[in-house]
Amino acid sequence: MRLNRRWATRLFTVAALSLTLPGLTPVWAQDAKPVIIASSEDVISLDPHMLDSNNPTGSVIWSIFDSLVRRGPDGASVPRLATEWTRMDDLTWRFTLRQGVTFSNGEAFNAQAVVVNFARMNTAPFNSVQQLHDQTGLKEVRVIDDYTIELVTEKPTVNMLYWLAEAFIAAPAYITDTSPDAVASAPVGSGPYVLAEWKRGDSLKLTANENYWGGAPAVKTVIFRAVPEVSSRLNELRAGTVDMVVGITPDSADQANSDVSDLVKIEGLRKMHMGISIKGEQPALADPRVRQALNYAVDVPTIVASLMGGSTSPLLSIVNPPNNNPALVPFAYDPEKAKALLAEAGFPDGFPLTIQWSTRFDGGKEVSEVVGAYLEQVGIKPSYEAMEIGQFREGLSKASLKGIYFQGWAALINPSVELVILTCGHVDNSSGYCNPDYDKLVIEASQTLDDAARQKLEFAAQEIIWNDAPWLYLWRLPSFFGISKTLSYDFRADNYLEPYLITYK
Amino acid sequence: MIFFLIKRFLQAVLVLVGVSFSTFIVAHLTGDPVELMARENASLEDKQALREFLGLDRPLAEQYLTFVGKAVQGDLGYSFVQRASVTELIAERLPATLELAAAGFLLALLISVPLGIIIALKRNTVWDVVVTALAMVGQAAPGFWIGLMLVVLFAVELKWLPVSGYGGPMYLILPAITLALQSAARLTRLVRASMLEVLNADYIRTARSKGLRERTVLFIHAFRSAMIPVVTMAGLELAELVSGAFITETIFAWPGVGRLAVNAVYQRDFPLIQGVVLLAAVFFVLINFLVDVLYVVIDPRVKLK
Repeated sequence: MRLNRRWATRLFTVAALSLTLPGLTPVWAQDAKPVIIASSEDVISLDPHMLDSNNPTGSVIWSIFDSLVRRGPDGASVPRLATEWTRMDDLTWRFTLRQGVTFSNGEAFNAQAVVVNFARMNTAPFNSVQQLHDQTGLKEVRVIDDYTIELVTEKPTVNMLYWLAEAFIAAPAYITDTSPDAVASAPVGSGPYVLAEWKRGDSLKLTANENYWGGAPAVKTVIFRAVPEVSSRLNELRAGTVDMVVGITPDSADQANSDVSDLVKIEGLRKMHMGISIKGEQPALADPRVRQALNYAVDVPTIVASLMGGSTSPLLSIVNPPNNNPALVPFAYDPEKAKALLAEAGFPDGFPLTIQWSTRFDGGKEVSEVVGAYLEQVGIKPSYEAMEIGQFREGLSKASLKGIYFQGWAALINPSVELVILTCGHVDNSSGYCNPDYDKLVIEASQTLDDAARQKLEFAAQEIIWNDAPWLYLWRLPSFFGISKTLSYDFRADNYLEPYLITYK
Repeated sequence: MIFFLIKRFLQAVLVLVGVSFSTFIVAHLTGDPVELMARENASLEDKQALREFLGLDRPLAEQYLTFVGKAVQGDLGYSFVQRASVTELIAERLPATLELAAAGFLLALLISVPLGIIIALKRNTVWDVVVTALAMVGQAAPGFWIGLMLVVLFAVELKWLPVSGYGGPMYLILPAITLALQSAARLTRLVRASMLEVLNADYIRTARSKGLRERTVLFIHAFRSAMIPVVTMAGLELAELVSGAFITETIFAWPGVGRLAVNAVYQRDFPLIQGVVLLAAVFFVLINFLVDVLYVVIDPRVKLK
């Protein structure tokens, strides 16, 4: 008993002490106040060549490293470590590199740095994530002089600049001499920020690179925090303890508006749709008239207004604006026409149809059930199936899902990449769609260097696929952000954040 | 005593082997992690290369034996997703979890034991009814709801405490209270029931009739026996807290083992899943052992064999 009492006293003292220690609340001058950004996920790996997600990992990589070309919010290619570029012939691009750039460990940036980084990207495991070589057919990096390189591809490509924007350049000697696991937690780049501290699973702190070639950023300290629960992120924003919030769900968006913060809505780039599995268990889906009927049967504007709070708009093409074919118009809501098309295709009484979605995707169940209810109105008999994300993605990559499935795809502004996904047998062609006429246009476009001629081909391809309808077209996935009233920043539709562009009001 | 320790140790080894084997099998049954890890438009060759890089192309038996062989030497392998050593990742998270578990657990005991005794003594009074009802509500209310309500009141409205995150002691208060309230609700009811049972026992009547002071009867004779079921329950509560209070950690963005574990499951990060589950199993075994030892301290009739 005496023993027990002594324990109890000791434990109580420890508990009491731990509760009375003062909390540390630093006081900052207004312009030196760190900007704290709360995201739902942890930063995963700081290896620039393992980057596979936009925020927060991508935002951090974009801040620590530079690429040759920056992708502007509108999809345009902007000079970064490359100051200018020209196409020498169908297969060769020449880039002039920025002079006087140094990495944060003092190494100099030059042509050799590009060679080393591009070679690393093309080896395992990086090549399972990095897209530069696969997507552009890049086969050789030629060094012309210290500040001039030529990139040579196997085939003509229109996508070089697009993928260069995701090919980040790290300090060459450092990544050569350091083990990949060490690189992943101690990055050395030339970007506007350097890593100050990383508490894995909690927060990551960046400090401004005062010698950045583009000028020192206005915000000197940026802290990325992982706050997994959306209501906690919003509470932080409202309490004024974080300055920016990423990943707000439509149903809680209004809570980002408070006396210290504002909600920002951005129409996103991810094209939400019900994929139609042409080689799945329902043979009726192989008939384009049936697929059109599905599109006529669902009132997309009404779902956008009710389920999405009117925060987005229906898809206009399988290619994002501004590259969409303006002649295309969304399928009207016309159940009579849908029934007529079904009858014409030989299914006047409809057919059973499985609707699948991944439990990981917000709103998958709700959207599937609403779409199913509309399809029931034209005689189709839906059944519903929620799937674990891994099995769902396996079904996508094998084009083996059952009927229709809720999915978002190609969150980018690049018509060539957006179109190629639906060519015959493409690894991302989850619906199993195959139309040789379409493929011919898409492949020709991807090798046509003349802008006007290429656009013509792309518009023709968009028109074919729109009417062939391998998707039940829905809407662009909107993004919601919260921002403190003391800051100004233009959010990007692709969810990357570029803290060096944040300014204090 | 020595015999007991050896027996316990062998049992523990068996439990850990069983746990690691079933974790390994169940994890692999969920499917191929490469499907989740590879970029959206990776080719089949890219995926195969990644599989080989991660060692997932080798036979399952070989993968398991390699894992066990390394685990015995304290090497739990590399996380597929985070590309960092599993032991390191767990070691980074463990202090936060232990801190929260200890604070929550102590708070729960500080609330439940006195409260349980008081209402047992004041049985069928207003106090009893009110506290028992509150305990029922506390047990029924979901932890995330309690947590969010506390945040809205103390962090957003009053601004006394931080909303979430990990830092000084101020950050510990709300998550610890959230955890403690749930445990305390369960334990209070158990303390009450167990005290009542003991208070009606013959030896308590004997003790009272010997003319002992009520305080001696209560704290020396009754309390000690009443604590045995409470210790068992409290041990289980603590083991659960230490292996990670996922929901509380999520709401308060607390960088603990629970969140690490759930993310690992989401991402099919097999080495990390195995490491975290193994750790939880070790804690369960350890705490159960401590509970057994505590029995002897509390009740001299119990002998460890």
